[in-house]
Amino acid sequence: MASHSNPPKRIAVVDAALQSLKRSRGPLLVLVALILFPFVFARITGTSVNEGPAKYWQGQLIAVFIMAIFAMSYDLLLGYSGILTFGHAAFFGGGAYTMALFLAHVAPRLVKTYRVSLPGGLDITEPSVFLLAILLVVGVSLALGLLFSIVSVRVKGVYFAIITLAVAEAIHILSKATDFVKWTGADEGLHGVPVPAWINPTQYRLRFYFIALAFAVVMYWLARRIVNSPTGRIFVALRENESRARMIGYNPALFRTIAFVVSALIAGLAGALFAVWTVSATPSMTSAVTTVNALIMTILGGMGTLVGPMLGAAVLEFFGQFLYQWFGARWPLVFGIIFIVLVMFLPYGIVGTWRLRSAQWKRRWALRKQPAAAQD
Amino acid sequence: MRLTAIWKSGKVYIILLVGLIVLSVVGWRSMGQQSFVRTALSGLTLGALYFMVAAGLTIIFGLMDVLNFAHGAMFMIGAYAGWQFYTNPTFLFGLAPLVLALVAGIVVTPLIQPLAIRWAVPVRWQRTLRTATIIIAIVLVVVGLLGLDVRGLAKTAMVATMVDPLAEATPQEPLAAFWRRPALFLLAGLLIALAQARPGDRTQVVRRSAARRSIAALLGFALLTAVATLTRESAAIAVLKMNADVRFFLSLAAGALIGAAIGGAIEISLVRPLYVRPTFLILATMGLSFVLRELTQLLWDPLPYAMSRPPLFSQPGKAASILEWFSKHTLTVEIMGVTFPSYRLFIIALGLAMFVLLMIVMNYSRLGMTIRAGVQDRDMVEALGINVRRVFTLVFALGAGLAALGGIGAAPFAPVEPVMGDRFQMQGFITVVIGGMGSYSGAAIGALLLGLARAFGDFLALKFSLTPAVSEASTVIIMALVLLLRPAGLFGKKE
Repeated sequence: MASHSNPPKRIAVVDAALQSLKRSRGPLLVLVALILFPFVFARITGTSVNEGPAKYWQGQLIAVFIMAIFAMSYDLLLGYSGILTFGHAAFFGGGAYTMALFLAHVAPRLVKTYRVSLPGGLDITEPSVFLLAILLVVGVSLALGLLFSIVSVRVKGVYFAIITLAVAEAIHILSKATDFVKWTGADEGLHGVPVPAWINPTQYRLRFYFIALAFAVVMYWLARRIVNSPTGRIFVALRENESRARMIGYNPALFRTIAFVVSALIAGLAGALFAVWTVSATPSMTSAVTTVNALIMTILGGMGTLVGPMLGAAVLEFFGQFLYQWFGARWPLVFGIIFIVLVMFLPYGIVGTWRLRSAQWKRRWALRKQPAAAQD
Repeated sequence: MRLTAIWKSGKVYIILLVGLIVLSVVGWRSMGQQSFVRTALSGLTLGALYFMVAAGLTIIFGLMDVLNFAHGAMFMIGAYAGWQFYTNPTFLFGLAPLVLALVAGIVVTPLIQPLAIRWAVPVRWQRTLRTATIIIAIVLVVVGLLGLDVRGLAKTAMVATMVDPLAEATPQEPLAAFWRRPALFLLAGLLIALAQARPGDRTQVVRRSAARRSIAALLGFALLTAVATLTRESAAIAVLKMNADVRFFLSLAAGALIGAAIGGAIEISLVRPLYVRPTFLILATMGLSFVLRELTQLLWDPLPYAMSRPPLFSQPGKAASILEWFSKHTLTVEIMGVTFPSYRLFIIALGLAMFVLLMIVMNYSRLGMTIRAGVQDRDMVEALGINVRRVFTLVFALGAGLAALGGIGAAPFAPVEPVMGDRFQMQGFITVVIGGMGSYSGAAIGALLLGLARAFGDFLALKFSLTPAVSEASTVIIMALVLLLRPAGLFGKKE
């Protein structure tokens, strides 16, 4: 009897863990499916995990993971904070170029001059240089995010959208300017960036697959923590009614800066990983098309949901291939028409519409169970 | 007292004027007369082009709060339409009957509305009925286009040699096979009209005067369709036989009209339903610019084309002055010791003419009055009983027409290519932001500043052996400077 009235604390903790597991059942199932995917796929096609179609589809999924995180970071601004920016490619491209430039021009020299080893004699020069690259990407992304948010404090609305577009365009023009051909490769971009051997995506495809997956999971977790935190609530409050949020006592500039910096950080890291994945950094990564891609993914999946843009990225990456097969090089035409139809008639995207509809169905279902209530 | 009043009202103008004079004196001294005049003239040319894009953009934004991302596409469409008309109009005349037939069908909306709304359609089926009608109409349009070699028609201008105009004439589909296409398009238009009439919706207000006008419009467009169907080949030949200068000015008009028509159609179909959701409006126009760019790539391949200059601007030799050019029509003109292409001077003149025209329309016409009032306070204009919806459509068409005119004006000077729209749109946006949204004189001054800055930036870049890319990127800095001082642009309305 005593144990009933006073349940041991440990069980409560386990209970809470089980509860949260139950709540995030869907994402966990997807995660398990994605972890198992390479092995199951290889078993089905009867090939090895590291070659043939298995390797190809792992590659496709890696691109999806990275783009999904990029789109998600865009949604943090557009969907949650209600900031329309057209400069998101600057973050992505900035991360990619920082990574590629560092690996191509600085890292080899560092590796040649310095040696870092653990006390046990284990040589960890390459990993620490790579870590330095990631830190550099973080720094550049933070700087870019701050730059954009400084502008956003002073200029609002449509003006701001145009300025972000212009700044991103300026960065794009500089990224393909022939003045810096020695470093950036101008129009061609940087190709064959010497990525560390242990992360080489062609050699260790499966390893890279898991790295990308882990990256996606961590970033999603981070974004979800932020969105569900009090700070995230204030983002939404700013989106819904800025003057009211300000009246309650929240500084819009501060929270917009936080949103920008977080979004820039995630986008920059996604860009850096994309640079490692393609072993290159090209001007197309900083171009407006990249921003538009993130925008399309976000709209397609549903603004204001974290899962939506990721789903949108997956749909876009896969359907893009099929559309390419069916319509040839002009498939963006079909895609553009689909996009307009979506914007006109399905403004909440896949996930948003699903949530709306499923809530309606649930209500209807509940009403059906109580015929008396259904009368009115 | 009066001096302070002048200073207050024209502060921005005075500062800009003084700044420009100081800079030009410095430039004249340090660069020397020749290079200064040449750079300034190139700057003016660029400024004129930027103004043509920015003028429509700024009016549209000022009145309707629509950030039109498809504006650059309008510029591009103007260039393509004018280029087609000038080089070989087979494509335009080949498709004209179809478009006219579709419009003839759509204009009957007010006529059938009194009947349609009395049709007893249950409320829950009305939406479905409308959607189904539109889908059938789209299917009819697709069926009407099946088998028509649109790309073949589009290619006719690409192989034009301009030696013998009659050799350019391409035989079209015989009438016996062609007639069903306009018929199908007419049917599709009628179905769209039916959907527009909202069958069963008794809340609609019916106006009898509109019905009478609609009969006239139907008859007019039907007649035009018939004429266009019959003269598909002969009209193209007639245009090609014309004097090339006349044809060039006609192509300016054709480009502007086609741009205006497409702009109006976009406003009615795409923009109007989305006024309540501004963010989605931006996204829709963005998607549209994407679609239009891809469409031109599909029709004309993603290659740049050079439109030849009309003989008016391409006689060999050099005119000693602008006056002499009027009799000789030479390729270049000498101005203050600088040999400058005469066509670029024409672009400057076109930009100036457009500015004057716009000023007249804005200051002395009823439409202009409504626009100015609407920029000030849209709700009040609506409350005064002005049909704002129609004004919106007109303004959108006007803006698109201006951009298209700029496009065809630029075509003999810049390459005609699918990305030309995006390139000028970016500069147009920056111009509008510098000048302030909603102010056409702001757009003019912004365009002037930006054009001069680009030209002198290119000059400096060359001097310090950098590429023009750096000066292109540096226009952003000008924008940032202006916005830091005046967050709403030079002449923008304050929030």
